[in-house]
Amino acid sequence: MMPERALGRSFTNAWYRELFFLRSNPLDLALVTWLPLLLLAIVAIQLSPSVMRNLPIAVIDQDGSATARELTRRLDAAPGLHVSDHPTDMQAAQQAIRERSIYAILLIPRDTERSVMRGETGKLIIFYNASYSTPSGAALREATSVIQDYSGRLAVEQSAILRLGTVRAPPIAAQTTILFNPQTSYELQLVALIHPALLHLIFMVAIVSALGRELRDGSIGPWLDGAAPATAAAAIGGKITVYILIFMLWGILATAYLAGLRGWALQGSIALLLLGYMAMYLAYTGVALLLIGLSLSMGRALSLSGLYAGASFAFAGTIFPIESASRFAQIWSAILPYTSFSKLLVEQWLMGAAVRVSIPHIFIMLLFLFVGAAIGLPRYIQAASRPETWGRR
Amino acid sequence: MIGRAYLATFRTIFSDSTALLLLIGSAILYSFFYPSAYWGDVPVRLPIAVVDMDHTASSRTLISKLSALQQAELLAQLPSPNAAFAQMERREISAAIVIPEGFEGRILRGEQGIVALYGNGAYLLSSSTALAGVASAMGNMGISAATDQSMAMGAPAPPALGLIAHPMFNAREGYGSTIIPAVSFLIIQQTLLMGMALLAATMREQQGPLAFNGQGLLGIGLAFFTIGFANVAYYTGFVFWFLDMPRAAGQFYALLVATCVFVGATVAAALALASFFQERERPIQLWIITSLPIFFLAGISWPTEATPSWLSLLARFLPTTPGIHLMVGINQMGASLTEQKSEILNLIGLILLYGSISFLRYRPRTNEKKGHIPSPRKEAGSP
Repeated sequence: MMPERALGRSFTNAWYRELFFLRSNPLDLALVTWLPLLLLAIVAIQLSPSVMRNLPIAVIDQDGSATARELTRRLDAAPGLHVSDHPTDMQAAQQAIRERSIYAILLIPRDTERSVMRGETGKLIIFYNASYSTPSGAALREATSVIQDYSGRLAVEQSAILRLGTVRAPPIAAQTTILFNPQTSYELQLVALIHPALLHLIFMVAIVSALGRELRDGSIGPWLDGAAPATAAAAIGGKITVYILIFMLWGILATAYLAGLRGWALQGSIALLLLGYMAMYLAYTGVALLLIGLSLSMGRALSLSGLYAGASFAFAGTIFPIESASRFAQIWSAILPYTSFSKLLVEQWLMGAAVRVSIPHIFIMLLFLFVGAAIGLPRYIQAASRPETWGRR
Repeated sequence: MIGRAYLATFRTIFSDSTALLLLIGSAILYSFFYPSAYWGDVPVRLPIAVVDMDHTASSRTLISKLSALQQAELLAQLPSPNAAFAQMERREISAAIVIPEGFEGRILRGEQGIVALYGNGAYLLSSSTALAGVASAMGNMGISAATDQSMAMGAPAPPALGLIAHPMFNAREGYGSTIIPAVSFLIIQQTLLMGMALLAATMREQQGPLAFNGQGLLGIGLAFFTIGFANVAYYTGFVFWFLDMPRAAGQFYALLVATCVFVGATVAAALALASFFQERERPIQLWIITSLPIFFLAGISWPTEATPSWLSLLARFLPTTPGIHLMVGINQMGASLTEQKSEILNLIGLILLYGSISFLRYRPRTNEKKGHIPSPRKEAGSP
């Protein structure tokens, strides 16, 4: 039996050894300090406007009527839109849309006002740039609601002009309510998900590098050779704990930024969210141990990490529903811990789901740690006594 | 001189399996791997459920019309709004339509029957367009649904204004077809940048400081230009066709010019960036952690109009920012070179900027008359 004290010493020694390494290697220190800060800040700043305002659109007014002018005025006054262009024909408008100076073109055809005054429907046409679906979708949504609103007012005017009783408002209207994110904030949805996506990538790079570096430089020998497996495992634990704690701080900071500084209230449990962060880091520790253990090369393991985790954000299914993608994509999505974490985050932050709904995600993430460590850890420890595996690039 | 540097560069790349994988392998690997997240990318039909609290002929007519909606797929009819919200929490449906009690009564009285449409704001990006479509389609179909119920009231008025929406350039409106082309050019940039930095750092580890004169630099640049050009040709010519993306809308020569300036700017930036690396593994680290922010800075998923202007300006120092706009503009939107001139000028500016930086950074020092030409790595144990 290994005395517990020896294990504890091995853990603390490795912990101080890693801190000392970081202190004397500014580039490796940068990877866990100012680089994460820079990358998190860029995303936070870019999305800080939160909603899309004053998206430029063009109006082609072929009608030239008071109704058309009033509609244009209302569109311009809507917070999400800005009528920046009044081209005379479709050709000029299409050129503007290809130059990306506008996202959509509203065509008000001749005789629109006359149709309205006769009690018929004035048919408007909107063309939008579907290659830029996010801003175009927002512009379309806003324009639709302005037009429906104005249409309702026109109906009232119609009934005043025409004989009352024969003309009424359209019988059915849909009132849209956005649940779980009532301010329809893209900042809340995107930043909440991109920050942990960045953090898991940087964390994985840091862990793979920290473990792989020892193999590349052959320092794993002096560090772990001759140690009993349990002592070696404790030392590896001490090394990894440095990074887990640093990245927990980043997770707390990212959460505090959105919930505190930006005021996007967390609907569920903050403790569960942080537990989720911890489980995610442990899961990627497992994956890092697996990749390092199998490749025994820092460069290879890093390349594999990029391939494995680089596209997690696309495969997590939180932005694009993965359910409608291919079977391969669904399997790939399932073997990424970030998928489980992002589900937990959406449930706890936006939906305020019950704790029991999110707990299974934590267990799934821990599974990655156990499987990865079971395969990778013994191979890594063995490599300490096999100098022929050192120095691979 | 240029030719020798060109060939030597290829020999260096082919003798380093990691660089080869990064520069050529990953472009091919990612072209199948990444789009699979979006395969089956039909026009986004929102899975919806309906809750009928009115139980009248009008509400039943409306529900039968809902199942014919192009923008949505009616999956279930549920007893209560809470049941619908629970399904939304489990992501089984993306939107719920609640027909409130008294719906028919209001219509018969000549008022508007208001239907509540609930969308899931936690998944805003994938559903916003479809949600708008469902809302306006319901407004339009209301007319016929209620006609027979309102004989006593006379014919209902058509809405004063009707709106027909036409998507341009990406007519199927797949989410993937807006994202995949953009990501493709990001992959091409990142692999060129990091592949070159990895090679340069490796050579520095083995040979000490690197120096190339103008011709040597041009030869190296042309070699990487060849790889980048081949990657763009592979994506625009094969991958987009294979995935049936909206493509080839512009003229061929415009695409050719766009490819040259984009790849040119990327290679110049790669040369400049590579001059700073001393350690082989650093570029791989950066490649993994920078791709996501660079993608968002490109302004495809989040528009420039809603980005702080100083940040948009800084983002223009990345070749992908003007590059993706230009390539999508020409290939997907069919824009002409004149319509995209600001992006082209931006890229030419980057070629000059990063070209000059590279020239200065690699210029041979006084005691070195001629630049080294890259030679294949000869390292024991290298694969």
